[in-house]
Amino acid sequence: MINLLKTSFAFVALFASIFSSNALAQTPTQHSSTFPINGTVDKHLVRTILQNATVHIDENTTILNGTVVLFRGMIESVGTSEEISVNGPAITLDMKGYHLYPSFVDLHSTYGLPEVKLAEWSRNPQYESNKKGAYGWNQAIRPEIKSCDVFVEDSNKAKTLREAGFGALLIHVPDGISRGTGTLVMPVDDPRDAIIRIEASAHYSFRKGSSKQNYPSSLMGSISLLRQTHFDARWYNDATKRGLSGGTNLSLEAFNNSQNLPQIFSAGNWKDILRADKIAKEFGLEYIVLGGGDSYQRAEAIAQTGSTIIVPVNYPTAYDLSDPFLARFVSLTELKHWELAPSNASILNEAGVNICFTSEGLRSPSEFLPAVRKAVERGLPENDALAALTSNPAEAIGAENLVGTISPGLMANIIVTDGPLFKNKTKLVEHWVSGEPTIILDRDALNLKGDYSLTIGSKTIDMIVDGEIGMWEATEQVNDTTTNKINLNLDGRTIVMSLTRDQGLVRMTGNIWMDSRIWEGTAVDALGNLMEWSAVKTDDKQVDLVKSPKDSTDVKISALGEIIYPFTAYGSAESVGYENVVIRGATVWTCEDEGIIEDADILISEGQIISVSKRINPSEFLGSKTEFVEVDGRGKHVTPGIIDEHSHIIIERGVNEGTQASSAEVWIGSSLNSEDVNMYRQLAGGVTCAQLLHGSANPIGGQSAIVKFRWGSLPSELLYQEASPFIKFALGENVKQSNWGDMQTTRFPQSRMGVEQVFYDNFIRAREYGLNQYNYRQELRKTKRRDVLAGRGPLEPRRDLELDALLQILNEERFITCHSYRQDEINMLMHVADSMGFRLNTFTHILEGYKVADKMKAHGVGGSTFSDWWAYKYEVKDAIPYNAAVLYDMGITTAINSDDAEMGRRLNQEAAKAVKYGGVPQEEALKMVTLNPAKLLHIDHKTGSIKKGKDADVVIWDDNPLSMNAQVVATYVEGRCLFSIEKDTELRTAIKAERARLTEKMLNSSTSGEKLKKPSERIRLHYHCDTLTEENR
Amino acid sequence: MKKIISIVILGLFFTLGLIAQQTPAPEQSRSILILGGTAHLGTGDVIVDAAIGFRAGKIDYVGRAFQVDKSKYDDIIDASGKEIYPGFIVTNSTIGLQEIGAVRASRDQYEVGTFRPNVRSLIAFNTDSEITPTVRTNGVLMGQITPRGGVISGSSGVVHFDGWNWEDAVVKMVDGVHLNWPMTHHKHNRLGKVDIRKSKTYNQSKHEITTYFSEAKAYATANPEASSREMDVRHEGMRGLFDGSLALYVHADDARAISEAVHFKREIGISRMVIIGGYDSYLVADILRENGVSVLLNSVHRLPRFKEDDVDLPYRLPKLLADEGVLFGLQVDARMTEMNTRNLPFYAGTARKYGLTDEQAVMALTRNVAQILGIDATCGSIERGKDATLFISSGDALDIMTNNLTHAFIQGKHIDLDNRQRELYRKFQSKYGIESKDSPK
Repeated sequence: MINLLKTSFAFVALFASIFSSNALAQTPTQHSSTFPINGTVDKHLVRTILQNATVHIDENTTILNGTVVLFRGMIESVGTSEEISVNGPAITLDMKGYHLYPSFVDLHSTYGLPEVKLAEWSRNPQYESNKKGAYGWNQAIRPEIKSCDVFVEDSNKAKTLREAGFGALLIHVPDGISRGTGTLVMPVDDPRDAIIRIEASAHYSFRKGSSKQNYPSSLMGSISLLRQTHFDARWYNDATKRGLSGGTNLSLEAFNNSQNLPQIFSAGNWKDILRADKIAKEFGLEYIVLGGGDSYQRAEAIAQTGSTIIVPVNYPTAYDLSDPFLARFVSLTELKHWELAPSNASILNEAGVNICFTSEGLRSPSEFLPAVRKAVERGLPENDALAALTSNPAEAIGAENLVGTISPGLMANIIVTDGPLFKNKTKLVEHWVSGEPTIILDRDALNLKGDYSLTIGSKTIDMIVDGEIGMWEATEQVNDTTTNKINLNLDGRTIVMSLTRDQGLVRMTGNIWMDSRIWEGTAVDALGNLMEWSAVKTDDKQVDLVKSPKDSTDVKISALGEIIYPFTAYGSAESVGYENVVIRGATVWTCEDEGIIEDADILISEGQIISVSKRINPSEFLGSKTEFVEVDGRGKHVTPGIIDEHSHIIIERGVNEGTQASSAEVWIGSSLNSEDVNMYRQLAGGVTCAQLLHGSANPIGGQSAIVKFRWGSLPSELLYQEASPFIKFALGENVKQSNWGDMQTTRFPQSRMGVEQVFYDNFIRAREYGLNQYNYRQELRKTKRRDVLAGRGPLEPRRDLELDALLQILNEERFITCHSYRQDEINMLMHVADSMGFRLNTFTHILEGYKVADKMKAHGVGGSTFSDWWAYKYEVKDAIPYNAAVLYDMGITTAINSDDAEMGRRLNQEAAKAVKYGGVPQEEALKMVTLNPAKLLHIDHKTGSIKKGKDADVVIWDDNPLSMNAQVVATYVEGRCLFSIEKDTELRTAIKAERARLTEKMLNSSTSGEKLKKPSERIRLHYHCDTLTEENR
Repeated sequence: MKKIISIVILGLFFTLGLIAQQTPAPEQSRSILILGGTAHLGTGDVIVDAAIGFRAGKIDYVGRAFQVDKSKYDDIIDASGKEIYPGFIVTNSTIGLQEIGAVRASRDQYEVGTFRPNVRSLIAFNTDSEITPTVRTNGVLMGQITPRGGVISGSSGVVHFDGWNWEDAVVKMVDGVHLNWPMTHHKHNRLGKVDIRKSKTYNQSKHEITTYFSEAKAYATANPEASSREMDVRHEGMRGLFDGSLALYVHADDARAISEAVHFKREIGISRMVIIGGYDSYLVADILRENGVSVLLNSVHRLPRFKEDDVDLPYRLPKLLADEGVLFGLQVDARMTEMNTRNLPFYAGTARKYGLTDEQAVMALTRNVAQILGIDATCGSIERGKDATLFISSGDALDIMTNNLTHAFIQGKHIDLDNRQRELYRKFQSKYGIESKDSPK
């Protein structure tokens, strides 16, 4: 569809160019009257005609023998030489053999803008904005910044950009989460010519840039801040109309004013692209998104966003892996990314993504075209590549009437090449920007190649000139075997030569005439005598200046590795499907009333447990035609998948948004990292499900994410939809910043006394917030529809994401799991909950729970504890390993959690400690890491035990799971075997083989000319794919 | 019939109620014979239905139950169905030096300065730490107390976990000097960009270390005896490294650093070197073995270092070293190392599951460690003439559920296996009227 439109547009343009040149002549001249003139006026009456060229109007339309007329910085007409006639004065340039292309358009540039200095971490907290003026509360929200105000032309950089083919750049100050507006500029010297659209776009990111304000410190905080800003801006708009805004906020004014511009989001890795898309969908926005060069790893998911993706081409360079020890520092992800990164554009294009290339991240613009050619080499069709360089970016920001094609009325931005653009040997010869040429290679360069008869004074010798333009070499041919070098230097038509004769050096200077057939000038011999010299070409050796370079398909592309999911060690190219499995003859720990059943069978199908009993006949349940896998469970133990109530793995860029006493607005689920190898390691320890919690840096932490360990899935697919929403609260030393150093003494609270008040204050505000919403709805009901539509209805209360979450708690729609150690504060929080009319769900850690177990029982709260941790903080000096046993004995729902990626994969052993310390029965101890955490997370109706109808989250062990001799044989998550010893062995072999293959390829790349990074000097590693994003900051 | 002494002591606790610290046991006055049970001698040998006799703190009988002359012993402990082990030894430990990590006033493992071999840990070892009793409850009865930080952190000493004061607890005043090998390459992480670079300071640091050792050696050679004239206390702290009386403990995980350290051993002429950490030691096992360098392996319960590493590599490291013939022991060096010391036996349990034999696993906590520390003449195994530092567990001590000490002896002294945590447990059990399921004795 898009291509069709483009094609028809090109035809229209062509049609227009032939018949409407008169109308175009009336377009305003450059430098119109607002600028006084120093001197006499240049009326720009002369047109430039580029003739006989192969004109690539756009990616789909090419005119052989075409003509382009340039007038006053713009393209006046385009057509075949026969179609175009020009009235009035004109210069005609013969472009025979040359190709004309539209100049490149880069949507992500900082050309001409001041450098942004990123804030460094500081010991001194800054909680409030220190920006003066009527601006918003957070310095990372800077919609008031206009790039045009800080843009300063830069002749040197502009020239480099022109020489690299860039005709227009969308520039913005890459600083902050809301970054203000971008400006469309051309890389020309006069700023009045340069700026072609003052406010062309609005820009966003997840990075806070130069802001030293503490909030937000995490990715999830950035996401919340941007969402809250949208809500604030909408409310501000409504409130201002009614005079109720409570003060001017220039940031929100600017934010609202820029909403109709193209919205560009500088994301980065593919996860950030999906995160940006979530925000776009929530607020009905269409983002054009800067990717991070790794988008190919999830091209399908990115295609589904429907966003235009700005694609960088700063491919990683190879590492010197010759030292096998140091080579270990280069991860499989890095190795594979090095190989596949050049395929990024072609994979995205193939998936149907609308792409635009950017030079973002390249050290020099001159690296740009070669990098794009590499993408073409990897299968990106040439016309799609051209579109991604020109018309796609222009259309994406609605600037197709200014740049992006060679069409009448557009800027005269035209690249002249000596061959097809994407052939490796093709050179940019000229670049016309705004109608002014930048000469890169001299089209009129003289061809000196040939045999000459050189006469100096009276002597004549034979001279042969060889080489290529810019690098001529001359030799005297004495006889068939003897030659003498002649120094030769050509500058325009002036030639300087010298050669050694018997008397000494003879120096010559002169000019070249008649297309290099005759050279003549004056010589000075070693004695200082002047004489005449001349050279006459005797044999013309044609140098084909306009080459048709050989197709570069002879560059052999060796086989590429597969994309694996996740894109890290232990990922697989193929996703694991559901299986019908019957496990035979195992000792099954059901964690249900049935207890431990010896010699039992379990039937799994479609991700669910179909039956648990002795001697199952699968065809009874599945029908006789359905295939199933038999797993020998004899001598083995089968348990429910382990559930970790308290985990911090799989989280990207910040587990704490501890910059305010309450960060109820943030959600761990917004910053999941599905590529964390710790997920696989947990599967290897039989863990299938976990609650990923916000940290404990503040009394009211963030919303948690309950995930299934669906290794290989997208971040959003990890979320367990069956779970209730939860939020992390915290008490004690962490929230009062006791161990944060002496500078951290100003954030409220600093004592346990203050912690209580944080809770009361926030809940009381949340209650009022809920009341305001209720009142609004009541009033709205009473208001006439007509008035509401006319904006005369009641003002909707400002949506506050923080209070939203707290109100949900009060309404018992969201549940608290609270980090807790000491009995006094545990007691306190139960009082807060009682007085606010809700029940606490879980105390996590709860190390002094044994001291208030009776009160916990009375309140009805559960406990999720460490098995044996203590003595790391003052508040845990009374922690005892018997805690779980006491809580259990008191009839409290008791779980054992990890809070630690290492311990998380041995939770079965941690459960065994409840047997050791306090004599909890083994079955009950196992429930502490299966059914009980499921209850605490409100997912026990679907998982946590082995029961018909529940998710097939099942672990096979080779011994009693509570014993040190137990090892996981296989882990099933919803019926999919995501870990087994056999598969693990295969993966280990595959990892070694893939590393070996890539290592060899990298080492060989040095012989094929690619530069290697030496470990002795510097190896740059990208442990995460964030790196490109970081370069965007 | 001989009386079973533990009952008396059990009764004592309930009468005392909550006490701050465990009372050190009196010297062994009556000879004791442990009869029956399976004895893991720490030498690699096992005796089924064993008899272990000891008097005045020393083992005087190791044999089969049916062969022993019971009449020679004052007290007999029936260990039938139980397991007997030498006391486990923790190394590279800060127990007694640090009580609560977050409380600065309770931290004594760091001293100021780069080279401080004369700083010794032993005199800061707090015998009244509340952590130690919880550790010996699980069978860890001895420890190498080790300072931290700097290039040369200081000197470690070896103690028993029972005593009125450090003089009482000492096994070896100073057993070695601890050197933190500088990083050959360092990881540089800024804004998510990670570089691995050859450390700019490595050559300089290595030069400084070499110079420091060379000077100390020159000093020790020129002054065979410590004299009051022109005495350099720092050089004195190094003296034992050159005559073999002290070991040089090199803290290093990286293959390159380990091999550099072994080369350094040859270059300087250090007679005993031990690698502490040693994640990569399996990669350079040949040079370790050939140069007689042993390894005190980092916590078995840890995550693999690299994403690509085998998921169970840390679990299998002991087996890899055992197969290569490298002398090694297990230690606890992770977060919260003090309190985690009570899990040391279970590290061996995991190492056993992942390849070690039963007795290799026990040796990795006992005689191997004693050999490495240079105390194997008196400690680390159940052999005649050695210290009666041993314990009885009602089941497999390397498995969490069955690690349940009924008796423990340090140099024949019958130590108290109660601890403050058990007291707190009992206190609240009685508050709630819950039946006791834990048997402290």
